[in-house]
Amino acid sequence: MGAEHPLVRKDYEKLAELYNYISMCTHCSNCKYLYEYGAKENFAAIGCPQGDKFKLDSYFGSRAKSSLARGLLKDKLQFTDSVMHAVFTCTTCGACQQMCETDFKPAIMRTIEALRAEAWRFGKVPEAIKRWSNHIKVERNPYMEKHSDRLNWLPNSVKESLPKKATYVYFVGCTASYRQKQIALATVNIFKALGVDFTVAQDEWCCGSPLFRTGQWELAKEFAEHNATLLDRYGAEGFITSCAGCYKALKKDYQEGLPEGYKDKLGINFEAKVLHSTQVIAEMIRKGEVEFKGKFEKVVTYHDPCHLGRHCEVYEDPREVLKAIPGLKFVEMPRNRKFSFCCGAGGGVRAAFPEYSLETAAKRVAEAEETGAEILTSTCPFCYRNLSDAITLAGSKMKMMDVTEILSEVLKK
Amino acid sequence: MGGNDRILKQLQEIVGPEYATNDEALMYPYSYDLTWNDPHMPDYVVLPKTVEQIQRILRLANKERIPVVPYVTGTNIGGLCIPEEGGILMDLKRMDQILEINTEVGYAVIEPGVSHAKFSAALKKHGYEFGWGVHPASASVLAMAINHGIGHLNGRFGINSQMISSMEVVLPTGEVAKIGSCAYSNSWHSLYPLPMLAGLFIGWLGTTGIVTKLGVWISKIRPYKDVLTIAAESAEDITKYMVAWRDLELCDEVTAVSWWLAQVPIPYPYKEKPADAPEWFSYTVISGWSEEELAYKRKMWKEVVERERAKGVKLIDYEYPPEAKRGRTELPSRIVGSTKNYSKACGGGLAWPGTFTPCKSWPIIYNKWKEIYIRHNLSPAVRFTDFRGSHYGMLRLMTPFDKRDPKAVENARKAMKECVEVGVPLGLLPYKPPVEYWNIMNKYADPGWIMLLTKIKDCLDPNHIMNPGKLGVR
Repeated sequence: MGAEHPLVRKDYEKLAELYNYISMCTHCSNCKYLYEYGAKENFAAIGCPQGDKFKLDSYFGSRAKSSLARGLLKDKLQFTDSVMHAVFTCTTCGACQQMCETDFKPAIMRTIEALRAEAWRFGKVPEAIKRWSNHIKVERNPYMEKHSDRLNWLPNSVKESLPKKATYVYFVGCTASYRQKQIALATVNIFKALGVDFTVAQDEWCCGSPLFRTGQWELAKEFAEHNATLLDRYGAEGFITSCAGCYKALKKDYQEGLPEGYKDKLGINFEAKVLHSTQVIAEMIRKGEVEFKGKFEKVVTYHDPCHLGRHCEVYEDPREVLKAIPGLKFVEMPRNRKFSFCCGAGGGVRAAFPEYSLETAAKRVAEAEETGAEILTSTCPFCYRNLSDAITLAGSKMKMMDVTEILSEVLKK
Repeated sequence: MGGNDRILKQLQEIVGPEYATNDEALMYPYSYDLTWNDPHMPDYVVLPKTVEQIQRILRLANKERIPVVPYVTGTNIGGLCIPEEGGILMDLKRMDQILEINTEVGYAVIEPGVSHAKFSAALKKHGYEFGWGVHPASASVLAMAINHGIGHLNGRFGINSQMISSMEVVLPTGEVAKIGSCAYSNSWHSLYPLPMLAGLFIGWLGTTGIVTKLGVWISKIRPYKDVLTIAAESAEDITKYMVAWRDLELCDEVTAVSWWLAQVPIPYPYKEKPADAPEWFSYTVISGWSEEELAYKRKMWKEVVERERAKGVKLIDYEYPPEAKRGRTELPSRIVGSTKNYSKACGGGLAWPGTFTPCKSWPIIYNKWKEIYIRHNLSPAVRFTDFRGSHYGMLRLMTPFDKRDPKAVENARKAMKECVEVGVPLGLLPYKPPVEYWNIMNKYADPGWIMLLTKIKDCLDPNHIMNPGKLGVR
């Protein structure tokens, strides 16, 4: 184990555990660029929003993260404000991990989180992250809202009709519960129209994604343990969520450990089916169980959320749903699927560095505009939030809509 | 913090506050590379965007006698961008524009920060290509070319520096000069028939100035490609075949790799080759404008193989794995550009002894290197590639090693230096050489050569600010 290596500082416990992985980074710079050859065209683009913005190698890709980790472990660097900035301006989008071909690859995201875990020990955490982290412990959401208001988005008529037991619990997530409520509503309406056997939990907590991504694993465990009990409470076999961040948390962070040889991140006993809402709908479309009432005659482009796409490799289901909608003309952005470009919100960046976060979102919106699309859509309320803010700020004519919002306009009730 | 705030302030005035730093945490990734070369911290990192900014930085560096190290991606395997004496590390990645793709004349003009990925994608849209070597997609086309980097067309055209058609350079003292046809018009088509002043900046490892624009010849992509493969038991036999085949000048590339280099990853530490496996595997890429042309080249290749066999050269039939074949015919590819073949699971270190060597010396040197490497418990993962020109080319020993263990690093360093020591008298000329290789090379060098090298360096860089120490003479 890396922690036993004689040449690394032992007090960086979380990083030291990963030392053997971190050492596998050759510093080769493969992570700085997205590219792929093809018979007709070669694809080439910058993938790292952080490198794209700050340019210095200390920000660019997983090479920068391994370098910072090495510097700390070998006592060449102290955990200064500059280290904090380089560590926390990463959106954890995974573009670098996509390109890495060394044995560092499976531990890249974990290393970024471990750097952040170490940052907490030194108090080198952006104030905004500290603020919501304090709030989440009490109110179970990072939006400075009351836990008791979590279900305010849900109309009473629907609330009363929800069953006590169901096959699935719809895991709404904090952003759709408190901010992008229309996504939660659209999702519920779609499920009802399609006859999905679901309910909404009365006591859902944050999935823990913001905690995982900012290195607060112990606290995240508490959230995972609570949410894991929801299935038993509703006799459900799994979760359906309309949020990419929740999907990754429930599907991967709760259930999967780290690369071989390392102890499980959480150590909780949780094994359950986890589906994104677009996966459920796509499957029903494939079975011919979805009927449409009208047409959505607009040009639409789709933004792959990093947590659903690169991190969980769900690329085609949302596209299948969109392509099945009558009248909808679907166009791709140059950077799509595994080569998608981050919306700029993830990894705690939106809260801690709002200007840079919006600047990144604006780059994505500009890319969407170039396709000629009128609608920019996605499958993540958090991406929705940042992209729609960037659209407003830029005065763009584009409109942001979640896939569920588009679908609910044309679904036969 | 490195350096001092007075200089930092001046650098920030030139490039903007966000593009100059002396913060150690932010500079740390620039202090080392893949190799065993000792790390050194820069005192400042600065990211200029324009030629004028570079001029001002160099004038400041001259005035203050501060070393300047040019850098784009730091992917070279020779410690070239490690600042031996600290100073200003000039990261050129913001200068990333493809300024011209001229298909009518057949050249392109690029800035230093243009990556191979960006360049190849842009060229492919026009149906053109440029040599892509073994490096990540982010590697700089300009830095590769001016440092004699190789590409995938070296059997047809030679190395990438032979494709340079013009350049713009900022001298260490801050003046700007255009070299080649661009000095007389806005056409960047040729260095000829002018005095070859480009040679003052090619192969000098950033010690004579900053090349800010580069014209390179580009070539049309041939639509038909194939990969032909053959194996051999000995370095002698595979070399005889390669020389005979390249004599016909029909291939884009002909390369052979030892059994250890054919493994993914390279065995680390040394692992014995299975007795029934051939020691050498060769591929050659052929291309053409029609299936008939390709068929002709296949026929000629078969004749070469049969002719060599008739002479007693032992060649073994073998088929390339389909994915590897695809990687060679659909260049540039992740397979070729990846480092996983070399360094996966080894512990992060990668370096090589090599490279430009007459083909006749390949087997002799390989057999010596094999003995040295087995003694050091390292795999003799060697590559031969015959470049266009005389029969010379790459003799390179890719060496993964474990950076976690100082003894392993030292072992690799010693083995590689030993290889250079035995190779130089037999014609080996290391490319992108670390300082420690220069020290060996210069022992054997003609005194007149060293004198001339030193005179030119002194003339261009009177205050010795440009990448000091990297030539082993200044």
